[in-house]
Amino acid sequence: MSAILEIRGLTKAFLNTGKKDKTEVLNNLNLSVEPSEFLCILGPSGCGKTTMLRCVAGFESYEGDVLVNGKLETGPGTDRIMIFQDFNQLFPWKTVEKNIQYGLKLQGIKDKAELKRISDSALKKVKLDGYQNFYPYQLSGGMKQRVAIAKAFALKPSIILMDEPFAALDAMTRTKLQKELMQLHEQEDCTILFITHNILEAISLGTRIIVLQTGGDIVVDKKNPIPKPVTPDSPGYGPFWTELHNALYA
Amino acid sequence: MEMIEKRERRQALLTKVIFIVLLLVIWEVTARAHIFGKRSEIVFPTLESIGKAFIRNFTFGYAGTSQWIYILNSMRFLLEGLCIGIGLAFILSGLSMVSKTIDTIFNLCVSIFDLLPGVALLPVVIVIFGVKPGVIVFLVVHAVLWPMSRNVLDGFKAVPEIYLEAGRNLGMKNTQLLFGVYIPAATTYIVSGLKVGWARAWRGLISAEMIFGIASSPGIGLFINQMRTNMNNAEMYATLIVIIIIGLIVQYGILNPIENATVKKWGMTK
Repeated sequence: MSAILEIRGLTKAFLNTGKKDKTEVLNNLNLSVEPSEFLCILGPSGCGKTTMLRCVAGFESYEGDVLVNGKLETGPGTDRIMIFQDFNQLFPWKTVEKNIQYGLKLQGIKDKAELKRISDSALKKVKLDGYQNFYPYQLSGGMKQRVAIAKAFALKPSIILMDEPFAALDAMTRTKLQKELMQLHEQEDCTILFITHNILEAISLGTRIIVLQTGGDIVVDKKNPIPKPVTPDSPGYGPFWTELHNALYA
Repeated sequence: MEMIEKRERRQALLTKVIFIVLLLVIWEVTARAHIFGKRSEIVFPTLESIGKAFIRNFTFGYAGTSQWIYILNSMRFLLEGLCIGIGLAFILSGLSMVSKTIDTIFNLCVSIFDLLPGVALLPVVIVIFGVKPGVIVFLVVHAVLWPMSRNVLDGFKAVPEIYLEAGRNLGMKNTQLLFGVYIPAATTYIVSGLKVGWARAWRGLISAEMIFGIASSPGIGLFINQMRTNMNNAEMYATLIVIIIIGLIVQYGILNPIENATVKKWGMTK
Protein backbone atom coordinates (compact mmCIF):
# COMPACT_ATOMS: atom_id res chain seq x y z
CA MET A 1 0.00 0.00 0.00
CA SER A 2 1.44 3.40 -0.94
CA ALA A 3 1.40 6.18 1.60
CA ILE A 4 -1.32 8.85 1.38
CA LEU A 5 0.93 11.33 3.16
CA GLU A 6 4.68 11.41 3.00
CA ILE A 7 6.69 13.96 4.99
CA ARG A 8 10.38 14.06 4.10
CA GLY A 9 13.02 16.05 5.97
CA LEU A 10 10.54 18.61 7.25
CA THR A 11 12.46 21.46 8.89
CA LYS A 12 10.90 24.66 10.16
CA ALA A 13 12.50 27.54 12.02
CA PHE A 14 10.87 30.74 13.27
CA LEU A 15 12.81 34.00 13.29
CA ASN A 16 12.97 35.38 16.79
CA THR A 17 11.48 38.85 16.82
CA GLY A 18 14.05 41.60 17.22
CA LYS A 19 16.93 39.15 17.07
CA LYS A 20 18.86 37.64 14.24
CA ASP A 21 18.84 34.06 15.48
CA LYS A 22 16.20 31.44 14.78
CA THR A 23 14.36 28.89 16.85
CA GLU A 24 14.16 25.54 15.16
CA VAL A 25 10.79 23.97 15.85
CA LEU A 26 11.04 20.99 13.55
CA ASN A 27 14.31 19.37 12.59
CA ASN A 28 14.34 16.83 9.77
CA LEU A 29 10.99 15.20 10.53
CA ASN A 30 10.12 12.14 8.47
CA LEU A 31 6.67 10.56 8.60
CA SER A 32 4.62 8.33 6.36
CA VAL A 33 0.87 7.86 6.81
CA GLU A 34 -1.14 5.04 5.22
CA PRO A 35 -4.63 5.55 3.75
CA SER A 36 -7.50 5.24 6.29
CA GLU A 37 -5.15 5.63 9.22
CA PHE A 38 -6.34 7.62 12.24
CA LEU A 39 -3.03 9.00 13.43
CA CYS A 40 -3.02 10.59 16.87
CA ILE A 41 -0.13 12.89 17.65
CA LEU A 42 0.81 13.37 21.28
CA GLY A 43 3.49 15.72 22.53
CA PRO A 44 4.27 18.38 25.12
CA SER A 45 3.57 22.05 24.38
CA GLY A 46 6.14 23.53 22.03
CA CYS A 47 7.24 20.20 20.52
CA GLY A 48 6.10 21.30 17.07
CA LYS A 49 2.86 19.29 16.69
CA THR A 50 0.81 22.25 15.51
CA THR A 51 3.64 23.53 13.33
CA MET A 52 3.86 20.14 11.64
CA LEU A 53 0.11 20.12 10.96
CA ARG A 54 0.23 23.69 9.64
CA CYS A 55 3.09 22.78 7.31
CA VAL A 56 1.08 19.84 5.97
CA ALA A 57 -1.93 22.16 5.52
CA GLY A 58 0.27 24.56 3.56
CA PHE A 59 -0.13 27.53 5.92
CA GLU A 60 3.61 27.79 6.63
CA SER A 61 6.77 27.94 4.56
CA TYR A 62 9.24 25.14 5.32
CA GLU A 63 12.21 23.13 4.13
CA GLY A 64 11.62 19.55 3.07
CA ASP A 65 8.84 17.88 1.12
CA VAL A 66 5.20 17.14 1.84
CA LEU A 67 3.62 14.68 -0.59
CA VAL A 68 -0.06 13.80 -0.68
CA ASN A 69 -0.91 10.79 -2.85
CA GLY A 70 2.62 11.05 -4.21
CA LYS A 71 2.10 14.64 -5.35
CA LEU A 72 4.33 17.41 -3.99
CA GLU A 73 2.27 20.03 -2.15
CA THR A 74 3.18 23.72 -2.38
CA GLY A 75 0.24 25.53 -0.74
CA PRO A 76 -3.14 25.10 0.94
CA GLY A 77 -5.75 23.01 -0.82
CA THR A 78 -9.02 21.17 -0.29
CA ASP A 79 -7.29 17.79 -0.32
CA ARG A 80 -6.12 18.64 3.20
CA ILE A 81 -8.80 20.24 5.38
CA MET A 82 -7.86 21.71 8.73
CA ILE A 83 -10.17 21.70 11.73
CA PHE A 84 -8.99 24.15 14.36
CA GLN A 85 -9.44 24.19 18.12
CA ASP A 86 -10.98 27.66 17.92
CA PHE A 87 -14.79 27.50 17.86
CA ASN A 88 -14.84 30.59 15.64
CA GLN A 89 -13.58 28.85 12.52
CA LEU A 90 -16.94 29.07 10.75
CA PHE A 91 -17.75 32.22 8.79
CA PRO A 92 -20.22 34.11 11.03
CA TRP A 93 -21.83 35.79 8.02
CA LYS A 94 -22.98 32.48 6.55
CA THR A 95 -25.58 30.06 7.83
CA VAL A 96 -24.55 26.55 8.89
CA GLU A 97 -25.70 25.22 5.53
CA LYS A 98 -23.92 27.91 3.51
CA ASN A 99 -20.73 27.37 5.52
CA ILE A 100 -20.72 23.75 4.41
CA GLN A 101 -21.67 24.52 0.82
CA TYR A 102 -19.12 27.32 0.36
CA GLY A 103 -16.11 25.08 -0.19
CA LEU A 104 -18.14 22.84 -2.51
CA LYS A 105 -19.17 25.87 -4.56
CA LEU A 106 -15.52 26.89 -4.87
CA GLN A 107 -14.81 23.39 -6.13
CA GLY A 108 -17.23 24.09 -8.96
CA ILE A 109 -20.47 22.42 -7.81
CA LYS A 110 -23.15 24.84 -9.02
CA ASP A 111 -26.31 22.74 -8.86
CA LYS A 112 -28.36 23.95 -5.88
CA ALA A 113 -30.16 20.66 -5.31
CA GLU A 114 -26.84 18.82 -5.32
CA LEU A 115 -25.33 21.30 -2.83
CA LYS A 116 -28.37 20.96 -0.61
CA ARG A 117 -28.19 17.17 -0.76
CA ILE A 118 -24.51 17.13 0.26
CA SER A 119 -24.88 19.64 3.10
CA ASP A 120 -28.02 17.93 4.43
CA SER A 121 -26.35 14.54 4.50
CA ALA A 122 -23.21 16.02 6.12
CA LEU A 123 -25.31 17.65 8.84
CA LYS A 124 -27.23 14.43 9.44
CA LYS A 125 -23.93 12.61 9.98
CA VAL A 126 -22.97 15.01 12.79
CA LYS A 127 -26.52 14.94 14.22
CA LEU A 128 -27.29 18.56 13.39
CA ASP A 129 -30.19 18.00 11.01
CA GLY A 130 -32.59 20.93 11.36
CA TYR A 131 -29.88 23.51 12.04
CA GLN A 132 -29.37 24.33 8.34
CA ASN A 133 -30.43 27.97 8.61
CA PHE A 134 -28.85 28.81 11.97
CA TYR A 135 -26.02 31.31 12.12
CA PRO A 136 -22.85 30.21 13.94
CA TYR A 137 -23.43 32.63 16.85
CA GLN A 138 -26.64 30.74 17.64
CA LEU A 139 -24.75 27.48 18.22
CA SER A 140 -22.85 26.14 21.23
CA GLY A 141 -19.13 25.38 21.04
CA GLY A 142 -19.72 21.66 20.52
CA MET A 143 -22.22 22.31 17.75
CA LYS A 144 -19.81 24.66 15.99
CA GLN A 145 -17.12 21.96 16.04
CA ARG A 146 -19.67 19.50 14.65
CA VAL A 147 -20.39 21.87 11.76
CA ALA A 148 -16.64 22.24 11.16
CA ILE A 149 -16.36 18.44 11.01
CA ALA A 150 -19.37 18.21 8.66
CA LYS A 151 -17.83 20.91 6.48
CA ALA A 152 -14.54 19.01 6.29
CA PHE A 153 -16.11 15.62 5.47
CA ALA A 154 -18.45 17.14 2.86
CA LEU A 155 -15.39 18.22 0.86
CA LYS A 156 -14.14 14.61 0.75
CA PRO A 157 -10.49 15.53 1.35
CA SER A 158 -7.67 12.99 1.25
CA ILE A 159 -6.62 13.98 4.74
CA ILE A 160 -8.39 15.75 7.60
CA LEU A 161 -6.06 17.66 9.91
CA MET A 162 -7.40 18.19 13.42
CA ASP A 163 -5.58 20.44 15.87
CA GLU A 164 -7.04 19.62 19.29
CA PRO A 165 -10.58 20.22 18.05
CA PHE A 166 -12.21 19.04 21.28
CA ALA A 167 -9.77 20.54 23.79
CA ALA A 168 -12.04 23.45 24.74
CA LEU A 169 -15.15 21.29 25.20
CA ASP A 170 -16.62 19.93 28.43
CA ALA A 171 -15.85 16.26 29.17
CA MET A 172 -19.29 14.90 28.21
CA THR A 173 -19.55 16.75 24.90
CA ARG A 174 -16.00 15.72 24.20
CA THR A 175 -16.72 12.02 24.68
CA LYS A 176 -19.82 12.27 22.46
CA LEU A 177 -17.91 13.99 19.69
CA GLN A 178 -15.09 11.45 19.92
CA LYS A 179 -17.59 8.66 19.35
CA GLU A 180 -19.16 10.42 16.39
CA LEU A 181 -15.78 11.16 14.85
CA MET A 182 -14.80 7.50 15.14
CA GLN A 183 -18.02 6.41 13.43
CA LEU A 184 -17.43 8.95 10.67
CA HIS A 185 -13.88 7.71 10.20
CA GLU A 186 -15.17 4.16 9.74
CA GLN A 187 -18.00 5.13 7.37
CA GLU A 188 -16.17 7.67 5.24
CA ASP A 189 -12.87 5.92 4.72
CA CYS A 190 -10.64 8.94 5.22
CA THR A 191 -7.26 9.60 6.75
CA ILE A 192 -7.09 11.73 9.90
CA LEU A 193 -4.18 13.42 11.64
CA PHE A 194 -5.33 14.33 15.13
CA ILE A 195 -3.32 16.37 17.64
CA THR A 196 -4.11 15.97 21.32
CA HIS A 197 -2.56 16.37 24.76
CA ASN A 198 -4.85 13.73 26.17
CA ILE A 199 -3.49 10.16 26.28
CA LEU A 200 -6.96 8.62 26.78
CA GLU A 201 -8.25 10.52 23.75
CA ALA A 202 -5.32 9.30 21.65
CA ILE A 203 -5.86 5.65 22.66
CA SER A 204 -9.64 5.90 22.20
CA LEU A 205 -9.47 7.37 18.72
CA GLY A 206 -6.20 6.47 17.06
CA THR A 207 -5.34 3.45 14.97
CA ARG A 208 -1.74 4.60 15.24
CA ILE A 209 -0.16 6.88 17.82
CA ILE A 210 3.05 8.89 17.69
CA VAL A 211 4.68 10.92 20.44
CA LEU A 212 6.72 13.98 19.47
CA GLN A 213 9.39 15.58 21.60
CA THR A 214 11.16 18.93 21.20
CA GLY A 215 12.32 19.55 17.65
CA GLY A 216 9.66 17.26 16.23
CA ASP A 217 11.58 14.18 17.30
CA ILE A 218 9.32 11.09 16.98
CA VAL A 219 10.05 9.05 20.11
CA VAL A 220 7.12 6.62 19.89
CA ASP A 221 5.43 5.37 16.72
CA LYS A 222 3.04 2.46 17.30
CA LYS A 223 -0.09 0.87 15.94
CA ASN A 224 -2.78 1.09 18.60
CA PRO A 225 -3.12 -2.46 19.97
CA ILE A 226 -6.29 -1.79 22.02
CA PRO A 227 -9.52 -2.93 20.32
CA LYS A 228 -12.33 -0.38 20.00
CA PRO A 229 -14.34 0.77 21.86
CA VAL A 230 -11.60 1.63 24.33
CA THR A 231 -12.26 1.83 28.07
CA PRO A 232 -9.76 1.81 30.95
CA ASP A 233 -10.85 -1.84 31.35
CA SER A 234 -9.70 -2.85 27.86
CA PRO A 235 -6.94 -5.45 27.95
CA GLY A 236 -3.54 -3.87 27.53
CA TYR A 237 -4.82 -0.37 28.23
CA GLY A 238 -2.75 0.13 31.41
CA PRO A 239 0.68 -0.77 29.99
CA PHE A 240 0.07 1.18 26.76
CA TRP A 241 -1.05 4.24 28.73
CA THR A 242 2.08 3.99 30.91
CA GLU A 243 4.31 3.68 27.86
CA LEU A 244 2.83 6.77 26.23
CA HIS A 245 2.81 8.65 29.52
CA ASN A 246 6.49 7.94 30.12
CA ALA A 247 7.41 8.97 26.59
CA LEU A 248 5.36 12.14 26.93
CA TYR A 249 6.76 13.22 30.31
CA ALA A 250 10.33 12.06 29.66
CA MET B 1 -38.62 38.81 28.43
CA GLU B 2 -40.32 40.12 25.32
CA MET B 3 -43.02 41.79 27.40
CA ILE B 4 -40.42 43.70 29.41
CA GLU B 5 -38.55 44.65 26.26
CA LYS B 6 -41.72 45.95 24.66
CA ARG B 7 -42.60 47.99 27.74
CA GLU B 8 -39.10 49.47 27.86
CA ARG B 9 -39.30 50.42 24.21
CA ARG B 10 -42.69 52.05 24.73
CA GLN B 11 -41.35 54.00 27.70
CA ALA B 12 -38.35 55.21 25.68
CA LEU B 13 -40.67 56.37 22.90
CA LEU B 14 -42.91 58.16 25.37
CA THR B 15 -39.89 59.94 26.89
CA LYS B 16 -38.84 61.15 23.47
CA VAL B 17 -42.30 62.39 22.56
CA ILE B 18 -42.76 64.23 25.86
CA PHE B 19 -39.34 65.86 25.47
CA ILE B 20 -40.10 67.09 21.95
CA VAL B 21 -43.57 68.37 22.88
CA LEU B 22 -42.03 70.20 25.85
CA LEU B 23 -39.44 71.87 23.60
CA LEU B 24 -42.17 72.97 21.18
CA VAL B 25 -44.27 74.40 24.03
CA ILE B 26 -41.30 76.37 25.34
CA TRP B 27 -40.63 77.62 21.80
CA GLU B 28 -44.23 78.71 21.32
CA VAL B 29 -44.42 80.46 24.70
CA THR B 30 -41.16 82.28 23.94
CA ALA B 31 -42.48 83.30 20.52
CA ARG B 32 -45.84 84.56 21.79
CA ALA B 33 -44.35 86.39 24.79
CA HIS B 34 -42.19 88.57 22.54
CA ILE B 35 -39.25 88.22 24.90
CA PHE B 36 -36.84 89.71 22.35
CA GLY B 37 -39.06 92.71 21.70
CA LYS B 38 -39.29 93.73 18.05
CA ARG B 39 -36.78 91.08 16.99
CA SER B 40 -38.88 88.31 18.54
CA GLU B 41 -40.84 87.58 15.39
CA ILE B 42 -37.57 87.12 13.49
CA VAL B 43 -35.62 85.12 16.06
CA PHE B 44 -38.56 83.06 17.30
CA PRO B 45 -41.28 82.82 14.64
CA THR B 46 -44.39 81.05 15.93
CA LEU B 47 -44.85 77.37 15.18
CA GLU B 48 -47.80 78.29 13.01
CA SER B 49 -45.72 80.55 10.76
CA ILE B 50 -42.94 77.94 10.55
CA GLY B 51 -45.55 75.34 9.57
CA LYS B 52 -46.96 77.61 6.89
CA ALA B 53 -43.44 78.38 5.66
CA PHE B 54 -42.75 74.64 5.49
CA ILE B 55 -45.66 74.17 3.10
CA ARG B 56 -44.90 77.37 1.20
CA ASN B 57 -41.33 76.21 0.61
CA PHE B 58 -42.64 73.25 -1.32
CA THR B 59 -45.57 74.89 -3.10
CA PHE B 60 -44.16 78.31 -3.95
CA GLY B 61 -40.50 77.86 -3.08
CA TYR B 62 -37.99 80.61 -3.69
CA ALA B 63 -38.54 82.79 -6.75
CA GLY B 64 -40.91 80.19 -8.10
CA THR B 65 -38.56 77.22 -7.72
CA SER B 66 -39.98 74.62 -5.34
CA GLN B 67 -37.83 73.30 -2.52
CA TRP B 68 -38.20 69.86 -4.12
CA ILE B 69 -35.84 70.97 -6.88
CA TYR B 70 -33.29 72.07 -4.28
CA ILE B 71 -33.61 68.80 -2.39
CA LEU B 72 -33.29 66.70 -5.53
CA ASN B 73 -30.18 68.61 -6.61
CA SER B 74 -28.57 68.09 -3.21
CA MET B 75 -29.48 64.41 -3.21
CA ARG B 76 -27.96 63.99 -6.64
CA PHE B 77 -24.67 65.58 -5.53
CA LEU B 78 -24.72 63.53 -2.36
CA LEU B 79 -25.42 60.23 -4.08
CA GLU B 80 -22.77 60.79 -6.75
CA GLY B 81 -20.20 61.80 -4.14
CA LEU B 82 -21.05 58.90 -1.82
CA CYS B 83 -20.84 56.32 -4.61
CA ILE B 84 -17.49 57.62 -5.86
CA GLY B 85 -16.11 58.05 -2.32
CA ILE B 86 -17.18 54.62 -1.06
CA GLY B 87 -16.03 52.94 -4.27
CA LEU B 88 -12.62 54.62 -4.05
CA ALA B 89 -12.31 53.72 -0.36
CA PHE B 90 -12.82 50.03 -1.18
CA ILE B 91 -10.51 50.04 -4.20
CA LEU B 92 -7.68 51.89 -2.43
CA SER B 93 -8.02 49.87 0.79
CA GLY B 94 -8.06 46.67 -1.24
CA LEU B 95 -4.89 47.71 -3.06
CA SER B 96 -3.31 48.53 0.30
CA MET B 97 -3.78 44.92 1.34
CA VAL B 98 -1.92 43.77 -1.78
CA SER B 99 1.04 46.17 -1.77
CA LYS B 100 3.04 47.38 1.20
CA THR B 101 4.06 50.56 -0.66
CA ILE B 102 0.48 51.52 -1.49
CA ASP B 103 -0.48 50.74 2.12
CA THR B 104 2.15 53.12 3.51
CA ILE B 105 1.29 55.95 1.12
CA PHE B 106 -2.47 55.50 1.46
CA ASN B 107 -2.29 55.45 5.27
CA LEU B 108 -0.32 58.70 5.16
CA CYS B 109 -2.92 60.26 2.84
CA VAL B 110 -5.79 59.17 5.08
CA SER B 111 -4.07 60.59 8.17
CA ILE B 112 -3.43 63.94 6.47
CA PHE B 113 -6.66 64.46 4.53
CA ASP B 114 -8.99 63.15 7.22
CA LEU B 115 -8.03 66.19 9.30
CA LEU B 116 -8.52 68.66 6.46
CA PRO B 117 -12.04 70.16 6.47
CA GLY B 118 -13.58 70.12 3.00
CA VAL B 119 -14.60 73.78 3.16
CA ALA B 120 -10.95 74.71 3.71
CA LEU B 121 -10.22 73.09 0.35
CA LEU B 122 -13.02 75.03 -1.31
CA PRO B 123 -11.01 78.13 -2.38
CA VAL B 124 -8.29 75.94 -3.91
CA VAL B 125 -10.80 73.78 -5.72
CA ILE B 126 -12.66 76.81 -7.10
CA VAL B 127 -9.42 78.39 -8.32
CA ILE B 128 -8.52 75.18 -10.15
CA PHE B 129 -11.88 73.95 -11.44
CA GLY B 130 -14.10 77.03 -11.32
CA VAL B 131 -17.65 77.09 -9.94
CA LYS B 132 -19.25 73.90 -11.24
CA PRO B 133 -21.54 71.23 -9.77
CA GLY B 134 -18.54 68.90 -9.92
CA VAL B 135 -16.89 70.95 -7.19
CA ILE B 136 -19.62 70.04 -4.71
CA VAL B 137 -19.37 66.38 -5.68
CA PHE B 138 -15.61 66.66 -5.17
CA LEU B 139 -16.16 67.96 -1.63
CA VAL B 140 -18.61 65.16 -0.83
CA VAL B 141 -16.05 62.62 -2.07
CA HIS B 142 -13.42 64.29 0.11
CA ALA B 143 -15.76 64.16 3.11
CA VAL B 144 -16.59 60.48 2.76
CA LEU B 145 -13.41 58.95 1.30
CA TRP B 146 -11.05 59.37 4.25
CA PRO B 147 -13.19 58.29 7.21
CA MET B 148 -14.56 55.41 5.12
CA SER B 149 -11.04 54.34 4.14
CA ARG B 150 -9.83 54.53 7.72
CA ASN B 151 -12.61 52.17 8.76
CA VAL B 152 -12.20 49.77 5.84
CA LEU B 153 -8.41 49.63 6.40
CA ASP B 154 -8.82 49.02 10.13
CA GLY B 155 -11.50 46.46 9.39
CA PHE B 156 -9.33 44.55 6.93
CA LYS B 157 -6.44 44.52 9.38
CA ALA B 158 -8.68 43.24 12.18
CA VAL B 159 -9.90 40.21 10.20
CA PRO B 160 -9.06 37.18 12.40
CA GLU B 161 -6.28 35.05 10.94
CA ILE B 162 -8.44 31.94 11.35
CA TYR B 163 -11.00 33.16 8.76
CA LEU B 164 -8.21 33.80 6.28
CA GLU B 165 -6.69 30.39 6.88
CA ALA B 166 -10.09 28.73 6.60
CA GLY B 167 -10.57 30.59 3.32
CA ARG B 168 -7.15 29.65 1.96
CA ASN B 169 -7.82 26.07 3.00
CA LEU B 170 -10.87 26.13 0.71
CA GLY B 171 -8.60 27.24 -2.11
CA MET B 172 -9.44 30.95 -2.05
CA LYS B 173 -6.92 33.45 -3.41
CA ASN B 174 -6.56 37.24 -3.82
CA THR B 175 -9.89 38.69 -5.06
CA GLN B 176 -11.82 35.68 -3.79
CA LEU B 177 -10.35 36.29 -0.34
CA LEU B 178 -11.10 40.02 -0.64
CA PHE B 179 -14.79 39.54 -1.49
CA GLY B 180 -15.31 36.23 0.29
CA VAL B 181 -13.52 36.88 3.58
CA TYR B 182 -12.04 40.37 4.06
CA ILE B 183 -15.17 42.37 3.20
CA PRO B 184 -17.78 40.28 5.06
CA ALA B 185 -15.48 39.84 8.07
CA ALA B 186 -14.94 43.63 8.21
CA THR B 187 -18.63 44.50 7.90
CA THR B 188 -18.83 45.90 11.44
CA TYR B 189 -16.13 48.40 10.54
CA ILE B 190 -17.60 49.07 7.11
CA VAL B 191 -21.05 49.87 8.54
CA SER B 192 -19.60 52.26 11.10
CA GLY B 193 -17.54 53.79 8.30
CA LEU B 194 -20.75 54.31 6.32
CA LYS B 195 -22.34 56.08 9.28
CA VAL B 196 -19.42 58.44 9.81
CA GLY B 197 -18.91 58.91 6.08
CA TRP B 198 -22.53 59.75 5.37
CA ALA B 199 -22.69 62.23 8.28
CA ARG B 200 -19.53 63.99 7.11
CA ALA B 201 -20.74 64.05 3.52
CA TRP B 202 -24.12 65.53 4.47
CA ARG B 203 -22.51 68.28 6.53
CA GLY B 204 -19.88 68.96 3.88
CA LEU B 205 -22.56 69.20 1.23
CA ILE B 206 -24.69 71.72 3.12
CA SER B 207 -21.65 73.88 3.98
CA ALA B 208 -20.36 73.89 0.42
CA GLU B 209 -23.77 74.83 -0.95
CA MET B 210 -24.10 77.63 1.60
CA ILE B 211 -20.75 79.11 0.73
CA PHE B 212 -21.27 79.06 -2.98
CA GLY B 213 -24.58 78.04 -4.45
CA ILE B 214 -24.65 77.07 -8.10
CA ALA B 215 -27.51 78.89 -9.79
CA SER B 216 -27.86 76.23 -12.50
CA SER B 217 -28.36 73.44 -9.97
CA PRO B 218 -29.19 74.99 -6.58
CA GLY B 219 -29.15 72.77 -3.50
CA ILE B 220 -30.77 72.81 -0.08
CA GLY B 221 -27.79 74.61 1.49
CA LEU B 222 -28.21 77.44 -1.00
CA PHE B 223 -31.92 77.58 -0.19
CA ILE B 224 -31.33 78.08 3.52
CA ASN B 225 -28.76 80.77 2.77
CA GLN B 226 -31.17 82.58 0.44
CA MET B 227 -33.78 82.56 3.20
CA ARG B 228 -31.25 84.05 5.60
CA THR B 229 -30.26 86.87 3.23
CA ASN B 230 -33.94 87.66 2.65
CA MET B 231 -34.72 87.53 6.39
CA ASN B 232 -37.32 84.82 5.74
CA ASN B 233 -36.60 83.28 9.10
CA ALA B 234 -39.68 81.07 9.32
CA GLU B 235 -38.66 79.55 5.97
CA MET B 236 -35.13 79.12 7.29
CA TYR B 237 -36.33 77.15 10.30
CA ALA B 238 -38.64 75.12 8.07
CA THR B 239 -35.65 74.22 5.89
CA LEU B 240 -33.70 73.16 8.98
CA ILE B 241 -36.51 70.75 9.75
CA VAL B 242 -36.31 69.39 6.20
CA ILE B 243 -32.56 68.83 6.64
CA ILE B 244 -33.19 66.97 9.90
CA ILE B 245 -35.93 64.86 8.29
CA ILE B 246 -33.63 63.85 5.42
CA GLY B 247 -30.98 62.84 7.97
CA LEU B 248 -33.51 60.73 9.87
CA ILE B 249 -34.73 59.05 6.67
CA VAL B 250 -31.17 58.06 5.76
CA GLN B 251 -30.44 56.85 9.29
CA TYR B 252 -33.63 54.84 9.83
CA GLY B 253 -34.53 54.06 6.22
CA ILE B 254 -31.13 53.07 4.86
CA LEU B 255 -28.35 52.70 7.45
CA ASN B 256 -30.28 50.84 10.15
CA PRO B 257 -31.74 48.30 7.70
CA ILE B 258 -28.23 47.67 6.34
CA GLU B 259 -27.01 47.06 9.88
CA ASN B 260 -29.96 44.80 10.70
CA ALA B 261 -29.49 42.74 7.55
CA THR B 262 -25.78 42.18 8.16
CA VAL B 263 -23.84 42.48 11.40
CA LYS B 264 -26.91 42.24 13.66
CA LYS B 265 -28.26 39.23 11.79
CA TRP B 266 -24.86 37.54 11.96
CA GLY B 267 -24.46 38.19 15.69
CA MET B 268 -21.31 40.23 15.11
CA THR B 269 -22.73 43.13 17.11
CA LYS B 270 -25.60 43.64 19.54
